[in-house]
Amino acid sequence: MRPENYEARRQPPSYEYELNIGPNHPGIEGNYAVKLRLHGDTVIDSRADAGYLHRGFEKLMEGRLWIQNLAITPRICVPDPVPMEVSYCLAVEELCGLEVPERALYLRVIQLELSRLAAHLFTFGGHAATTGMYTPMFWGIADRDQILDLFEELSGGRVYHIYNIPGGVRRDHPEGWLQRVADTIDYIESRLPDYDNLLFHNQVFVQRARGIGAISQQDALDWAVTGPNLRACGLAFDVRRDDPYLVYDRLDFEIPTEEAGDAWARILVRRSELFESIRIIRQCLERLPSIAGPIRCPIPNPLAWNVPAGSVYTRVESSKGELAWYVVSDGSERPYRTHVRGPSQMHAVQVLEKLSTGARIEDVAQIMFSLDACPPEVDR
Amino acid sequence: MNKELMTWLDSLLQEVEGIEVRRKSSRRLRVDVDADALPALLELLRGRASYVHLSAISCVDWPDAGEFELVYHVWSYEMQSLVSAHTRIPRDPGVYISVYDIYTPAAFFERDIHEMFGVFFEGSPDMSKFILTEWDGPPPMRKEFDSEAWVNEHFDWQDYRPEWLQELEAEGGGVAVPPDEQRFSRRNIDDEA
Repeated sequence: MRPENYEARRQPPSYEYELNIGPNHPGIEGNYAVKLRLHGDTVIDSRADAGYLHRGFEKLMEGRLWIQNLAITPRICVPDPVPMEVSYCLAVEELCGLEVPERALYLRVIQLELSRLAAHLFTFGGHAATTGMYTPMFWGIADRDQILDLFEELSGGRVYHIYNIPGGVRRDHPEGWLQRVADTIDYIESRLPDYDNLLFHNQVFVQRARGIGAISQQDALDWAVTGPNLRACGLAFDVRRDDPYLVYDRLDFEIPTEEAGDAWARILVRRSELFESIRIIRQCLERLPSIAGPIRCPIPNPLAWNVPAGSVYTRVESSKGELAWYVVSDGSERPYRTHVRGPSQMHAVQVLEKLSTGARIEDVAQIMFSLDACPPEVDR
Repeated sequence: MNKELMTWLDSLLQEVEGIEVRRKSSRRLRVDVDADALPALLELLRGRASYVHLSAISCVDWPDAGEFELVYHVWSYEMQSLVSAHTRIPRDPGVYISVYDIYTPAAFFERDIHEMFGVFFEGSPDMSKFILTEWDGPPPMRKEFDSEAWVNEHFDWQDYRPEWLQELEAEGGGVAVPPDEQRFSRRNIDDEA
């Protein structure tokens, strides 16, 4: 970073002033800045400023083997890494025409939903913290940790699991793991009334969140808003149901929606999604023991794996919205091009700029967290 | 998407000149179209076939053909299908028209492609730098930009041999492998080929 590039703009005397929020501040799960122009305490212009987490993953992936890239994919989004792994694997599988065994599909769904639970708990806490309530934040992090323990037992990694590989998963779950998953989701479900008492029935929080950062359904569609943020505007769209992958078309779950489209509606949608994720995991836990068979299909030598030429666009529903990979192969042992479309590329840039303009300065951090934007998805 | 809708969409797409349609599955459609006809195709898809969601714009560099491939992925909430519209533009001068007036989210993707590939989109609201604010080199996602060569030119390989590693090496252990001898370095694989 070169400080000389950040010289203040010279302005004629006025009541307006500029304020940089970030790159480090409590409004976001990473390093990301917004440059605000203010009149009093009202934001009159807002510009997103990214690039603090750019690591050039798409370029790196072009220089590494298909299998080596698995170690890169989860790092694109820290709070919710599993959808990144799974969608990349789906892309390679589609290019190679691999049939993933059913057992692996259910194991993937369990991971995806556990990751969604962890990410939503994290967002509850973060959103509450932007309004000055720090207890839900500590609770959210502590409860998320229980899920990270499950991931550690399954894969050896707490945050970056790299458990999925093209063709299936790396190994079967350990003895007794399914029971511990069941116990953990029972525990999280039993905790939700406490969250209700502390956060969702708390008038301080409700008054702060209601009406903040509201977006209409038409605007949401025009600005490519996806995921819980779109469902908070009343459109029941979910990639899991409407463009199904893995075994989601065989599972029974609802798509919660709200009408208001503001920060309050968004956190309510996430709260309802927790219950749906728990429901999905319970169905998988019930079915998994009766599904025998391998956990991955045979794949060629991964160190000399020439993936057939072609291009593919795979989408999954992450906790933040629509996540997609565009992968091009020229028939060699490395991807020719990979492009990741993270939901936050819309939410953290154009939508955030639009919603924070006209807001009051104390609500900007809350708007950012209620959109659940993940900066590494923007920077890649 | 049911059969009737598929047939209707196929006949609608035939209104665009020089179009080639390939159905990959019931929810995925690949369309190849001339660069001149792409905006008309997108307008048709958005205005008459309910493809209101621009999921992404991807750019692929094909230096041997001297072309950039731009891929517009659009999704219809009603038809529940995704159309990937592929078009190719010459690499030199690398200028194309923006579709911001049809799809608002295009502004982000066009700005990103301009930064990473150096393609200029006429009519896009903002072509200023976003992620690579401090970078004044060539657009890094182009194939001719070799990150490894750039790193070798601008940085020194760190000689990391702390005491504990030297002790290990004295006993015949240690895992330090010089970059040239690493098995998966691009250089070694190219040499073998």
